[in-house]
Amino acid sequence: MPPADVRLTVEDLVVGFGGNTVLQGVSFSVARGFTGLIGPNGAGKTTLLNAISGYVSPTRGRVLLGDRPLTSLRPHRIARRGLGRTFQTPRLVPELTVWENVMLGLDGHIGWDRKRSHVVSLVRVEELLRQLDLNDWRDHPAASLPFSSQKVVEVARALAADPLVVLLDEPAAGLGPAEVERLIEPLKRRVEERGLAVLIVEHDIELVTRLCSRIVVLDFGQLIADGAPAQVLRLPHVVNAYLGAGVAAVG
Amino acid sequence: MNPAVRYGAIGFGVLALGAGVFFAPAYLNAYLMYLLTWIAIYAIAGTGLTVLMGWTGQIALAHAGLFGVGAYATAYLAGHGWPWPLAALTSSTASAGLGALVGLPAARLRGFYLAIATLAFGELLHQAFVQLTPLSRGPQGMAVVPIQLDGIDTPSLVWYLAMVILAAVMVTLTALGRSRIGRCLKAVRDIEPATGSLGISAMRYKLLAFAISAFLAGLAGAVFGQLITFLTPDLFDLPLLVIFLVQLFVGGVNRLSGALIGAIFVIAVRELLQSHVVSSLVPALVGSGQTLAFGLTLILVVRYLPSGLASLPARLRSRRPRPATLSPME
Ligand SMILES: Nc1ncnc2c1ncn2[C@@H]1O[C@H](COP(=O)(O)OP(=O)(O)O)[C@@H](O)[C@H]1O
Ligand SMILES: [Mg+2]
Repeated sequence: MPPADVRLTVEDLVVGFGGNTVLQGVSFSVARGFTGLIGPNGAGKTTLLNAISGYVSPTRGRVLLGDRPLTSLRPHRIARRGLGRTFQTPRLVPELTVWENVMLGLDGHIGWDRKRSHVVSLVRVEELLRQLDLNDWRDHPAASLPFSSQKVVEVARALAADPLVVLLDEPAAGLGPAEVERLIEPLKRRVEERGLAVLIVEHDIELVTRLCSRIVVLDFGQLIADGAPAQVLRLPHVVNAYLGAGVAAVG
Repeated sequence: MNPAVRYGAIGFGVLALGAGVFFAPAYLNAYLMYLLTWIAIYAIAGTGLTVLMGWTGQIALAHAGLFGVGAYATAYLAGHGWPWPLAALTSSTASAGLGALVGLPAARLRGFYLAIATLAFGELLHQAFVQLTPLSRGPQGMAVVPIQLDGIDTPSLVWYLAMVILAAVMVTLTALGRSRIGRCLKAVRDIEPATGSLGISAMRYKLLAFAISAFLAGLAGAVFGQLITFLTPDLFDLPLLVIFLVQLFVGGVNRLSGALIGAIFVIAVRELLQSHVVSSLVPALVGSGQTLAFGLTLILVVRYLPSGLASLPARLRSRRPRPATLSPME
């Protein structure tokens, strides 16, 4: 039975690079709140986000945002339909200030041929800077920010247009525990307040369990589990996939 | 600084500058006015390259050809009875259209390949000036009908025209650079792969930058026709392109002020190379030797002062190393 208020549906998605099939028929859905996407390195998590957001074309299957298929739309069209995302490494414009970088999250959505107005955008950016505690940085160029703040700015930018669905690729990677809190708490509040749907790739299981009502597990391009964290994390094959990766990462 | 003081100072500066521009023809000799007008025209053309290469990170080597399109088309239309402003605006718009056409390959090409494609387009335009004799009179050359206004001699009028256009362009582009469009252009330059995820069509902004840049080249060319009064195809060939590039890189690709600083530099250096002292010492520096000298300058500047002269004050103020750029994209 599909969960209520499904925002994003992935149906039988297959992605290959040359002879290498990276996603092998992946199906799941994303509803309001946080959905966790976990799996060992190289499992295909980033590729899945790339396929959803139009950066790579699947060889089979389709993605629906709401009930509209995104088939063969280019990334900026998909974004305008209401899909936001971040990248594993922050991609900010170095010389632009924090305010300008967050504003960029709305710039593609404003204009004579778009729904949003400039005034609403200004208000929206102020809100985000305040909520994510970025006001001290607002007039500084992004290049001068510490890595952790750059990641916060990128999340703010992805949320700026109030997308139906947001894809976050390891937003907490490379952050210390205090920095993770500084990002996650306001993010959680914002997501609840605006009723957003978030698909979050994250390695920190404790964090995933805290945030997500549901997690999906990817291993070698296949979805090996989908359900509530407490149940999924107890499944033997999930534990195996994860411990295996853990050992490999250490060794 | 107190805002009232600051705006006061700015207002005073603008007034002083305006007065300087207005009274210059009365106090400076005709040759110096000629050079100053030339600087203003190159500065207008240079801002186009700032937008395209500096802000948007595209390469365009058709700029000299598009400058020629502005010059020729304006002279042609004005020669057929069009009022000069209308002729110039129409020609600049046509140049913008051609510029967007040059930009089309930018969808797929970048770096070296984009350079070659745009260089070829510029050369094509040069060939058109040579071959389309019914329009351009070819190598024979084409006289330009001088603009006239009662009570002002034509050279002064061209000077005022160039300075008014330069001021308007600077103000407009400064506002543009700080606007949504400016942000999107810089995003295309620095984080093109991420622009799609922001709902920004990189292609659309590239084409816009190519069109703006070509419009400004055309507009500058239109005024240049009035300065030089006689057009021949070789005015708009590779040597001019080299000069534009020296101007851009010496001035600094990122800042509008760089276009003006670079224009002062190239005109000053050209005068120096042509002066009796230098040309009698090093006869090779006349003619094509000059282009060689500019080419060498270009290489040295790109190597030793990549942000150009416009970046010098900021660099000298803070001897600290420049902030590290963001981690490279994977
Ligand atoms: N553009 C690409 N071309 C070829 N192979 C790719 C490309 N992107 C990802 N891959 C491969 O797909 C697999 C999954 O990568 P990725 O999706 O980045 O994994 P994850 O994000 O789960 O660590 C890896 O083996 C990677 O080498
Ligand atoms: Mg990844």
